[in-house]
Amino acid sequence: MDAVERANTERQKRWVKDQKVGEGTYAVVYRGREFATGRKVAIKKIKVGQFKDGLDMSAIREVKYLRELHHQNVIELLDVFSSKTNLNLVLEFLDSDLEKIIKDRTLVFLPADIKAWMAMTFRGLEFCHRNFVLHRDLKPNNLLIASDGQLKIADFGLARDFTDPGHKMTCQVITRWYRPPELLFGSRYYSTAVDIWSVGCIFAELMLRTPYLPGETDMDQLKTIFRALGTPTEEDWPGHTKLPDYVPVGQFPRTPLRDLFTAATTDTLNLLSKCLIYEPRKRIGAKEALHHAYFFALPYPSHPSKLPKLSNNTSSRPLDEVDGNVDMNASGPGVKASAPNRLKRKLSSPGDELGGRPLARRLDFTQKRS
Amino acid sequence: MSTGLVPLASTSQIERTPSREDGIPEDLEADLRAYGCKLIHQAGILLKQKQVAVATAQILFQRFWFVTSMKQFGIGDVGMGALYLASKLEECPLRMRDLINVYDLLLQQTTHSLTSQLSTKGKDVFKYAPMSYFGNTFYDLKDALVVAEMQILKRLGFNVHVVLPYGTLINYLRVLGLTSHKEACARAWGYLNDALQTPVYTLYAVPTIVSAAILLSSRHLGIPLPSTPPNCWWDLFDAPWEDVWSVCGYIMRLYRERSPEDQLRVAGMVNKKDVRKWLEDNPGACMPGMAIT
Repeated sequence: MDAVERANTERQKRWVKDQKVGEGTYAVVYRGREFATGRKVAIKKIKVGQFKDGLDMSAIREVKYLRELHHQNVIELLDVFSSKTNLNLVLEFLDSDLEKIIKDRTLVFLPADIKAWMAMTFRGLEFCHRNFVLHRDLKPNNLLIASDGQLKIADFGLARDFTDPGHKMTCQVITRWYRPPELLFGSRYYSTAVDIWSVGCIFAELMLRTPYLPGETDMDQLKTIFRALGTPTEEDWPGHTKLPDYVPVGQFPRTPLRDLFTAATTDTLNLLSKCLIYEPRKRIGAKEALHHAYFFALPYPSHPSKLPKLSNNTSSRPLDEVDGNVDMNASGPGVKASAPNRLKRKLSSPGDELGGRPLARRLDFTQKRS
Repeated sequence: MSTGLVPLASTSQIERTPSREDGIPEDLEADLRAYGCKLIHQAGILLKQKQVAVATAQILFQRFWFVTSMKQFGIGDVGMGALYLASKLEECPLRMRDLINVYDLLLQQTTHSLTSQLSTKGKDVFKYAPMSYFGNTFYDLKDALVVAEMQILKRLGFNVHVVLPYGTLINYLRVLGLTSHKEACARAWGYLNDALQTPVYTLYAVPTIVSAAILLSSRHLGIPLPSTPPNCWWDLFDAPWEDVWSVCGYIMRLYRERSPEDQLRVAGMVNKKDVRKWLEDNPGACMPGMAIT
């Protein structure tokens, strides 16, 4: 046994796997704890050698970015070790996610609660963007909630860095409902603004308690967006008709946000509208958003510990909490209790940059739908 | 993520690498490292892979040998795994079959050069024999590739962050007013790429390596730069002179005249079983016991 193996065994001994909580496409997830302290953790065992392409791209991205990103509002990768032929990622354990909280009809959100979640999301996202990492899959079920109420951005399986400004990237990212129009039009050169659009959609969803722009297909998604926010003119968004996949989807008038968000303050709607600006270069940045008047106006954000929590934690599915890439047919607790549109919501269509070959295996869900 | 610390080898790792503990002499290890990197480079060119991925692969490859002995893993397999992993890390993934075909070609070339030099009949022309589509060669290489990718990740403790020197070089050349000097830029760039065949990227910070590349180019081209204390240009970049000089030494050693025997010796040890055989044939080549005390 060489030094590497010894060090690995040492690390392995620090963690105890308690119970399997689910099986994903490239990983099996266990609930576990730290041997010395009893602290709860999630252990993600990555299956190896089973895939014809070696290690899954999502696993590699997740490891690459989580090893480097350490922030209060980003999920923490505590340790990595290998057992026999498998790799294990030790992640902090989180009780629930924002999607579950939004769906729990027994909970009432105060404007201050929404402000607190938004502040934490922007803080985590600002940190990622400051370190040149795009998340590319922000949605409520990737925003996990710790037992102390802290929100943490998770699932970096689609993340990538953007140090190279002229670099061509795939537009097949971000779950459809949260995908910005420039990606739907096939833009291959994009930046942090794509994540901001997703946050805008989440912001609206927190107020509405239902997804803001739920498109059925990619085409329908565009229509849904334009129906809500008006078809962009050349003035609103110069050059958008020149994007690779541009198609006219009809003229819809612009309706004021006020009509739908009747109870929101002016500051709230101002920030929301700035997250949902069509022209990506004019969309607000994460840092700018944190300095927006919304966050300084009354009511101040709730303290994390005072935020609404799921009433029944035992029914939560820990599987979700570490990974969006889960097998929806898993018989884990909580799955069956989900709302009818649960499966639909899980739909994500991230593709890969190679064309054709599914890299992110979450694509499997799409097939199951038919 | 251009900021942040890059993992470098520790003094004890440099003094006694796992390969040397296993009896592989220092110069042989250096030759094998360089040869493994050359294979990565050649494969990268044949696959039209981006240089960032190739450079990342070479740096991961160099790091790997500070935690693992060449008796345990072959430089061919690990090089292939490093290129595969780096291509995923840099978001330009390769097809496994393409990579395997290219490595098979390169290894056949190596074997050919070995046999044609050993035989007295003179040189015959190299002819590539493609492997059969579902043959064992393919599946063996594929298994080796999957294992190598995993082992690199595991043994590097998942620290796959690599800082490449190119951006820094451009900044420094600009500061020194050398950007209009085409020859100097091209040379410095070339030294940085050649340095990938040495372990310097695992031993020194990027500013030091870039300074060494500029030093070598400026000396070879006779470009005067302020070099008398207290006005030394490398001080601008926080590069200590001893380290810069050491990096220059690593790079220049690559270009030294090599005997055909030395070249053959390296080409014959791409696989771990060849390395093991060499160790059996050459016991005590490195006196591992001495190093341990």
